[in-house]
Amino acid sequence: MSGGFEYLKALIVEDNSHMRSLLRALLNSIGITDITEANQGKAGIETLRLRRPDLVLTDLAMKQMDGLEFTRYVRNDPNSPNPFVPIIMITGHTEKHHVEAARDAGVTELLAKPITAANLFARIAEIVERPRAFVRCGTYFGPDRRRHPAEGYSGPWRRAEDMEDVEVS
Amino acid sequence: MARQTSDTDAELIEPEDYPQMVSKRDSLRCMQTLQSDRVVLKAKTAMASYTPMLRDAILEYVEALEEAGADLTQIFAISHEIRNFAANAGMGTAGRVAENLCRYMDEMERVKKPVDPAIVTLHVAAIARAARAEEDDAKMGDVVSGELNALVKRRLNDAGVR
Repeated sequence: MSGGFEYLKALIVEDNSHMRSLLRALLNSIGITDITEANQGKAGIETLRLRRPDLVLTDLAMKQMDGLEFTRYVRNDPNSPNPFVPIIMITGHTEKHHVEAARDAGVTELLAKPITAANLFARIAEIVERPRAFVRCGTYFGPDRRRHPAEGYSGPWRRAEDMEDVEVS
Repeated sequence: MARQTSDTDAELIEPEDYPQMVSKRDSLRCMQTLQSDRVVLKAKTAMASYTPMLRDAILEYVEALEEAGADLTQIFAISHEIRNFAANAGMGTAGRVAENLCRYMDEMERVKKPVDPAIVTLHVAAIARAARAEEDDAKMGDVVSGELNALVKRRLNDAGVR
């Protein structure tokens, strides 16, 4: 029986060849073999147009065009071939301000370096099992950033649909 | 169907209303693949095959780090590469020390304060020693890593970083 990923096309945008090799090996292990690599954001955009990938893995820090700029292009540019494509941003910059910048650019998932198989697979599983709604407003287009309810939030429900998640015992 | 949210002008586009990476029909098989012990083992084995190549790469980065002198931009960039790969190369201690140095430099830049060259030098020496260490020296590397971590915490605290 096939594993479900065989027909997917992936794009890896990463300026470090070692990291590209590791990511390719991990994607291969789940059955994704149609993989294109780009060594920076601009090349990634060209590949995006030509190959129409189903999944994008991108580094954050790259010269010329970094992962944030690349993600903003994918989500917002009128010429973007697929503004909804899942983007997993892989970064060693895990400080809060970097994470917030990635989230606000419109990434789907964030994966911290050093990477492991379990961590990458968990991010892909999130995309498969719990795809997120997209939000379009004046200042943002991308996956809904309100993934987790605020712990300890005792204020009023902010949206009518929040009530769907309330369990009454 | 896209809908307006109740408290903003934002439009919400539900997952059913845009193309998904995998169809609902394939999602179960995909999840089984991702959770399969056989697949995870295959992935770990594939990653392990890169360990020798990554070790060589880390040692090259260490040489470049030592040659960077007082060029803080270079030191930060190279340390970041070491931090990103060292664990995959089986050089966890070097990775932790590099991470500590990156965090220190990143936070000091964020609060617009100068980095202490002595702290940078200490970390560079510790990264080099940990990367080149034989197994017997690994415990010593862990001690040094812990001490440098405590030092950076104190310095960042002094600089007002919370």
